[in-house]
Amino acid sequence: MDLLDHLGSLREGKLSRRAFSRSLLAAGVGVVSMPVARRRAFASSEDQATYFTWGGYDIPDLFVPYREKHGELPNFAVFGGSEEALTKMRGGFVVDVAHPCNQALPRWVATDLFQPIDTTRLSNWPDIMPELIDLPGNKGDGTDVWMAPFDWGQTSVTYRTDIVEVEGEESWDMLWDERYSGRLGSLAAGADAWWCGAIKAGVDFADIDTPEAFDRIAEVMRAQRPLIRTYTDDTTTLEQALASGEMVAAMTWNSSAVVLQSQDVPVKFAKPREGALTWVCGLMIHKEAPRIDAAYDVIDSLLSVDSGKFMISDYGYGHSNTKAFEAFDDATLEGLGLSTHPTEILEAGHFQVPQTQEWETRMNALFEEIKAGF
Amino acid sequence: MSEQTAAEADLSKARSERTGRTGRTGRLSRMFYRSEALRGLGLLSPALLFMLAAILVPFGILIVMSFWTASGFDFDTTWSLANYQGFFERPIYMALLKRSLWISGIATVATVVLCYPMAYYVAFHVHRNKMMWIVLITLPFWTSYLLRVFAWKVVLGYEGVINSALMAAGLIDAPLQFLLYSQSAVVITLTHAWAAFAILPIYVSLEKIDRSLLEAATDLGDGPVMRFLRVTLPLSLPGVTSASLLIFIPTTGDYITPALLGGPDAAMIGNLIQKLFGPINNWPMGAAVSIMLMLCIALISGVFILLTIFLRRRIS
Repeated sequence: MDLLDHLGSLREGKLSRRAFSRSLLAAGVGVVSMPVARRRAFASSEDQATYFTWGGYDIPDLFVPYREKHGELPNFAVFGGSEEALTKMRGGFVVDVAHPCNQALPRWVATDLFQPIDTTRLSNWPDIMPELIDLPGNKGDGTDVWMAPFDWGQTSVTYRTDIVEVEGEESWDMLWDERYSGRLGSLAAGADAWWCGAIKAGVDFADIDTPEAFDRIAEVMRAQRPLIRTYTDDTTTLEQALASGEMVAAMTWNSSAVVLQSQDVPVKFAKPREGALTWVCGLMIHKEAPRIDAAYDVIDSLLSVDSGKFMISDYGYGHSNTKAFEAFDDATLEGLGLSTHPTEILEAGHFQVPQTQEWETRMNALFEEIKAGF
Repeated sequence: MSEQTAAEADLSKARSERTGRTGRTGRLSRMFYRSEALRGLGLLSPALLFMLAAILVPFGILIVMSFWTASGFDFDTTWSLANYQGFFERPIYMALLKRSLWISGIATVATVVLCYPMAYYVAFHVHRNKMMWIVLITLPFWTSYLLRVFAWKVVLGYEGVINSALMAAGLIDAPLQFLLYSQSAVVITLTHAWAAFAILPIYVSLEKIDRSLLEAATDLGDGPVMRFLRVTLPLSLPGVTSASLLIFIPTTGDYITPALLGGPDAAMIGNLIQKLFGPINNWPMGAAVSIMLMLCIALISGVFILLTIFLRRRIS
């Protein structure tokens, strides 16, 4: 673009269409080149492993050992739900390490997108709780470990103690309480919401795949829908809404309650009398992981005692490393709804049972219809 | 070789000798330089290849896939109309499609109506620093679409700018709940987010108008209103049409805004398509719904364009 020309036309207060298009072109080139320039600035991170995970796990606190070894953080790719992640990887997105949960494990293994974990390459492996390794679908033929367990916890109701009047015991009914219509929130993914609906409907997880269970859960979810302000997988949205009083109760994971309590918001993570939803999540290595050594370092870093302490104290999640619990006394752990014996917690709640792909598809399709008002 | 072709070959040889080029390359290059169409194609080919690779091939895959059916993680590749049948049988698809067309229709009208005066002002009343005005209009669009949507979440939120201001002014006692997570939140956000796409084409069409026509209208006794209705508006219709299409087409398929600001009652067809390709894991159905959406948009846009052409003919 001829700058003098341009200045001239500016001074005269007229701008030809051609000059105008040229300016737009310049602006366009500027905008397009910005992301390119940015990528170049971070070029060195091409040496790092890519960790595909939930929002909130992409933080430096969990990668102290990794950073000491590699000088940088791994690359993060974030998903809102594990099915979304699987779709992306099936579509050809190659990562090094991904972060699913137990309920998805057999289906993820069945996609043939992952490789078994060589546990001898993980320095923290001997300290990992054995009961978390022996999940359905893990160690398929008795030797292979597909998922290294990392975090475990509960899905329950976080509610404002200063607003919600609890009648009797804490219960899932709080999320169906018509007094608070329009001020209740829920996670949007069926992997949480549908299972919690099953608990509310009194469906045994062993029968969750039957047509009767589908009908009963659907009925419960339809009854809840008009009361819900918004369904979201973005936990920050739920946390902010609870903090401001926009929502008085919401379905969340442990971390939301812990985060809000640390900000002096009067909330409690309920222990519903029907039981909470419990789960274990872990780490899997992609079959074509381009940086396999760094991938093992990502996993080892997440399984380290330091990461475990952070997960327990700052997020209120259980960790798979037994030694991480040594820094906490029983009262603290109980306050967080945790225990050094994960089985106690997992058995006290309703532990998700892996389902077939057909079931998963059907459940998600039906839940989407219900959320859309059908 | 027949006599005729032999004669042609001789002729061609003679020509090659004249131009100093012989053989196949010579013929090709002459053909290339002589044929404008070929030269045009040569210039076009990178763009054409790009179009093929980035648009036509994926689009073809989408069409083919919409006739398959999903079975678990795999596809059943037997040709079938099951997805299209499902589209009309299950009410969710039609309902969401209608809602999307409704929301983006309102957003389109609102954007064009609000942006026309702005474009008009810049075209007719700004005489100095026009460039600065254009830059100011496009400035918000240098940042990401997602950020603009989030900004509206802050403005419309429970403790957001509007609610805080109304509370501080003593006009309301409790924050208004309907601002966020509603269809109106989606319309407001879309209207702002796509404003530049309305202002710029309308501005260009207004700028193009021959000012002497306006003078003539004044000389012939038209007041400002009649002059606008009889000259300016009809001549700026192409800008209005392209602005409307530029907004209507992408907003119908938008899914970020309804996902973040819409709440349960403002889910649009884009959100369902995303779910079909994501957690529901039914790519063929997702493809069929996408194609139905495209057909619908093409139909409406076509009608709209024909209507504009008809209107312009009537006027001129």
